[in-house]
Amino acid sequence: MSEDKPTMRGIHVSKSFGDGTGRTTPLRDVTLELHRGQLAVLMGPSGSGKSTLLAILSGLLEPDAGQVLVMDDGVERNIWNMTRAEREDYRLRQAGFIFQGYNLFPSLTARQQLEIVLRWGVGTPVREARKRADEILSLLGLGNKGHMFPAQMSGGEKQRVAIGRALIKNPKFCFADEPTSALDWAYGEQVIELLRAAAHERGATILVVSHDNRILPYVDVSYHLNEGRLVMDEATTGSHAGIEAESWRSTP
Amino acid sequence: MGYALQTLFHERQRYLPGVLAVAFSGVLIALQCGLLIGLFSITSLPIDHTRADLWVGSPQVLSVDLGRPVPEKFLSRLASIPGVEPPEFYNQAFANWTKPNGGSDLCMVVGSRLEEDALGAVSELTPELREKLTEPNGIIIDESELDRLGVKGVGDTAEINKQKVRIVGLVKDVKSLAGPYVFCSLETSRNLIAIVLPKHHSTYILAKCKNPADVERIASELRELYPDDMSVFTSEKFSIRSRMHWLTKTKAGVALGYAALLGLLVGMVVTSQTLYAATMASAREYAILLALGIPRWRVSWAVLVQSFWVGLFGIVVSIPTSFALGELASLGGIKVRLPEWLLGGTAIITLGMAVLSGLWALRSVRQIEPVNLLR
Repeated sequence: MSEDKPTMRGIHVSKSFGDGTGRTTPLRDVTLELHRGQLAVLMGPSGSGKSTLLAILSGLLEPDAGQVLVMDDGVERNIWNMTRAEREDYRLRQAGFIFQGYNLFPSLTARQQLEIVLRWGVGTPVREARKRADEILSLLGLGNKGHMFPAQMSGGEKQRVAIGRALIKNPKFCFADEPTSALDWAYGEQVIELLRAAAHERGATILVVSHDNRILPYVDVSYHLNEGRLVMDEATTGSHAGIEAESWRSTP
Repeated sequence: MGYALQTLFHERQRYLPGVLAVAFSGVLIALQCGLLIGLFSITSLPIDHTRADLWVGSPQVLSVDLGRPVPEKFLSRLASIPGVEPPEFYNQAFANWTKPNGGSDLCMVVGSRLEEDALGAVSELTPELREKLTEPNGIIIDESELDRLGVKGVGDTAEINKQKVRIVGLVKDVKSLAGPYVFCSLETSRNLIAIVLPKHHSTYILAKCKNPADVERIASELRELYPDDMSVFTSEKFSIRSRMHWLTKTKAGVALGYAALLGLLVGMVVTSQTLYAATMASAREYAILLALGIPRWRVSWAVLVQSFWVGLFGIVVSIPTSFALGELASLGGIKVRLPEWLLGGTAIITLGMAVLSGLWALRSVRQIEPVNLLR
């Protein structure tokens, strides 16, 4: 399920916002490791800096201090030593994102929401992009819904399309910010199971930010962030380890 | 390009203001220019509605209605050129019209031969009307000018340059710009504008070429032979020259051009705002694409392609609208001409404006930051 060598390391990461009396420091000297094939969750009270840490680890927000080291084609690199273009290229090759709102283009079909990532990102020809999009949609239980627009889909279906968009590049890393909070738990459970399968079957390193305790049984490791400090919760590591990940063919 | 078009169709209400703004600009430009062209085509009417190929007049004559007398002996200059059919005289000059009940106005006396093969008689003068013009001091005017000239119809009399004239017939759709056209015979015109036309002079000498293909060559030949004391034009070039003179010398062209430019600016602002708003409405979706590493220029390109389609649809709406409004104007007696080159030029300008609007709307793309999705 996970190998020993970490795929991502955040080392002494710190971040502050604002000045003077308005200054806040959501991250104080945070260090963590993530591994291949691992589903990790980052929890904490509202405003505790979970999303800030996610943004820094995923290359979207620069820290004030610290390093974010990633394994990139066998070489460990600090993403915050890269140029903006290199970071963009790294995200294109390695990173997938899922956000709380589905953020699907209202005028594109489910299939096109996935195609566009390949066609615009790496210039994949339309036929191949369509084929891969259909494959991913089938794995997500949306094989017969590729032609549908977001307005015609349920919340759970939309989030699954968003997951498909995140994973169609077969990224090594996937960052999810509150992926279940906009959904009924029935759908939310499906989403977490899909992410877990993506980690275990595809070997992705997945970091989920959530305040939803119900997902804890599904994750391999959980971290807790409070007042800028990060603590790994030993008790939840691999509590679902004995349970085989469900196939991607979840019920619609 | 497929996604851009699909988005435009799917969210057509969002993009409709932009399309209408482009259409508005296109219609404004086309109609303004069409009005100008229609308006100033009136000034070249004596050229466009007659049969002459060559117009010989005073040196550097600017427009057909501004000719000064040339000696009648110049006729032999044309007659001596092989390939030129027998030339003839033609007179045109402003004159003073005195109304029967007092008051006066400006008019444009146009005198020509009246025979069937006459080069200077406008096509609206039917053989019957030309027959009537053989009456000494008989004149024909456009029926829409009756009120302006203070007369009621055929048979009425008035004075031109203090000479009594009688209306022997009426024509239609022969409007003028400065003063109403007054058609008459060559002899009558000599009487009426004697004050500006010395003896043995005429305003122009007209000729037709046996072979239409020789017109340009013969005109050049005459210009070379007689460079100083007369000007020689083909009818086509003289028509353009006359119209362009009025277009550039009067402020009407400037005023309408200014209005067209304002219309273009308004169109650009609305189109740009439409595209800006549409892009920002999808800012989160674009932000995800940027988070996924898709280059920002790719998103910018999508916005530009959208602006192109908005422009194209705007043009498609503007063309029939321009024609419809032009027809409406003609019902009110206003001539609007929409030649193909004008419509093509308008399409290019409005499409360019739409794409420029897209470039301006790109400031929206610059504002999209993936990290904002996490806040």
